[in-house]
Amino acid sequence: MQGKSRLLILVVAVSLLITGLVLLPGAGQALKGRVAVILDVGGRGDLSFNDMGFKGTDEAAADFGLQMDEIQSASDADYLPNTRNAAISGQYDLIIGVGFLLTDAFNTVAAEFPNQKFAIIDSVVDQPNVMSIVFAENEGSALVGALSAMVAAYYGYPKVGVVLGIEIPVLYHFEAGYRFGIDWGNKKYQQVTGTNPNIGLLWTYTGTFSDIAKGYAASQAMLAQGAGLIYNVAGPLGIGDLQAVTEAVFAQRREAGPPFMIGVDANQDYLGDGHRVLASMMKRVDRGCYKAVADVVHGTFQGEIVSLGVSNRGIAISRYQDLLDFIEFGINAGAITAADKDRIISNWLTMRQGIPYWIWDAVSDLEMKIVSGEIVVPTANTVDEMLAIRAQYPLP
Amino acid sequence: MKGLAFIARLRRLKAWLFARLIGPAARAIARLRPLWESLLAGLIGLAVGAIIMLIYHFNPIQAYFALFRGSFGTVYSLSEALANATPLILTGLTFAIGLRGGLFNIGAEGQVYIGALAAIALSLFKLPAGLHLIVTLLAGMLAGALWSLPAAILKIARGVHEVISTIMFNWIAHFLSFYLIANILVDPRRAEKTISILPTARFPVLMPRTSLSYGILVSIFFVGLVLFLLWYTTIGFEVRAMGFNPAACRYAGIKRWRTALFAFVMGGFTAGLAGAVDVMGRPPSYAIFSGLGGLVNLGFNGLGVAMIGRNHPVGIVLAAIFFGGLMAGGRLMQISPGVPLELIRVVEGAIIITLAVPELIRIFRLFRGKLLIWRRA
Repeated sequence: MQGKSRLLILVVAVSLLITGLVLLPGAGQALKGRVAVILDVGGRGDLSFNDMGFKGTDEAAADFGLQMDEIQSASDADYLPNTRNAAISGQYDLIIGVGFLLTDAFNTVAAEFPNQKFAIIDSVVDQPNVMSIVFAENEGSALVGALSAMVAAYYGYPKVGVVLGIEIPVLYHFEAGYRFGIDWGNKKYQQVTGTNPNIGLLWTYTGTFSDIAKGYAASQAMLAQGAGLIYNVAGPLGIGDLQAVTEAVFAQRREAGPPFMIGVDANQDYLGDGHRVLASMMKRVDRGCYKAVADVVHGTFQGEIVSLGVSNRGIAISRYQDLLDFIEFGINAGAITAADKDRIISNWLTMRQGIPYWIWDAVSDLEMKIVSGEIVVPTANTVDEMLAIRAQYPLP
Repeated sequence: MKGLAFIARLRRLKAWLFARLIGPAARAIARLRPLWESLLAGLIGLAVGAIIMLIYHFNPIQAYFALFRGSFGTVYSLSEALANATPLILTGLTFAIGLRGGLFNIGAEGQVYIGALAAIALSLFKLPAGLHLIVTLLAGMLAGALWSLPAAILKIARGVHEVISTIMFNWIAHFLSFYLIANILVDPRRAEKTISILPTARFPVLMPRTSLSYGILVSIFFVGLVLFLLWYTTIGFEVRAMGFNPAACRYAGIKRWRTALFAFVMGGFTAGLAGAVDVMGRPPSYAIFSGLGGLVNLGFNGLGVAMIGRNHPVGIVLAAIFFGGLMAGGRLMQISPGVPLELIRVVEGAIIITLAVPELIRIFRLFRGKLLIWRRA
């Protein structure tokens, strides 16, 4: 009797152990341990949109012990083959597409490979195996628009400028928000000082996300027409924008702006020695990519639309802590060296303190009103909607 | 006596051997010289590429394995190589026709844009399925030829060098395309691209789940046509003769304007078709993106294809497939050993340059005599 129960216990224990051993590795999902990041023609090294996608995925890969492969596209003819190649290889837990331009390719390939998980930034691909990560760029652009208008007025400039890339719906979000923000800033400035500065907008769609020279040329033209701030909405073209801004600053025998650039996607404040980029409209592409990878690892991945905006810090205007974070990012990217760090920080503080406190307050006020829903920033997705907003906020 | 007979028999054997075996073999080897020259050049190119990759600490064996697998290793990759080759065959023909006629016509680039735009423009209209495709093809072809005419007329009437005029017309086409893409042919819902080719004018996909379309048949057809025209017709003979020796041609009464016009217009047809076939057969968008995207360099790559293919239609087919494979396989090098795109393009460039060297040497020899005459005069 006793022997029998002992045997029974032994059998139960052994079988439990065996089932445990068998089930344990399967308890989490079997991961292949690799993720792929597909970039559009913008490519790496922009210190902005593409590098942010890379950064977020890289951080997630490091945190979860995955290997990351990056796949760049030389032209739009590469989107579909690159996506297909990644899916055919069957070695990726997740394939992330960084950029709206990859939409058609992801739509096609996601249907061909229903068991492969995909995530796409800046676009909605309505398929069960694709996570679509979109941002409320209009909200962040409204914040920097308001800031630009008030700062331009404060320094006595008649205009602000925006250099955009290829005309895609995502960029309409930026333009719409920026127009609204400038209008809001004009009104706020009038409230405080009693005079309406009537800051106007100069805007150009350069038709490229890669030709830095076009950013330089566009910015130079805008500065010549009296723009006090240039908002970069074209990833790598910001490098050209900043070059033009820097030359304009040096021409006045100064080191620090105005004129200033407004950075985009990443925090680009540390560029221009910390005092020629006034602020950045941070679009946390990195957080979006990180979330997609984390969801796959945790087994909670869904083919859903993830919307990031001001309220959940997916969109934000750059602050001091962001400066510190992104100085590290810039050092890693080789844009600056560790020796520049202290000087950049002190330059940045001086630059920001040079602007009256009430202007920063007003921007925070706008931010809070957007979060609370008191102010709804308009946006546009189609040409017609964009034309309507241009008509509503002409900003001559 | 017996010894002499033996020697005589040996001599006869030797003569027979030379006449029947060694001679033809040697001639065959001599005729295949371009092939082994290319193979040797290709090996040198691969070696140069390998050294470059080694310098940047990438495993060249792994990289070349990915290159091969991504170009010809699977049915999918072979299809991609052929899809890439489709327009390159046509732009290769453009350059080859010109060079055969003694012209350095590098206008294919601009003619590709114009051909593609004409094809897109035809999708503003609705037509029945088969007819729409044919009309669109014809439009692309004619548009390419029309764009080559100014350079042809300038050459014939005023002696303007075609290198200068075609480069200038390439840029005119470039910026004209920018304007048309952004303003006239723009997709009202997607401002970054033109309207798409309507399904009635698209080439169906030849291999499912690949980019290979029936458009490749157009390329193959034109290879045959150009082969026939250049080698089996009077005008073709005149064109080739003009390329060999213009002075002798003039003495023989061959009209220079005829051969130049033929070379330019035929080149325009093929380049325009290259653009049209590309947009009509390239999934998923069937459209031109702002910045011209995938069309950029189709014309100039045709130059490389023609060089590697020794400016012969058959050689061009092989070279274009090789070129297309290199482009398709290069993509896979990013995935497997993780070679960055920039380095892949350097490696590809090294291979292409070494492959083009034998033909470049031949062309320089061909033109050297003319240059000397030009200097004396």
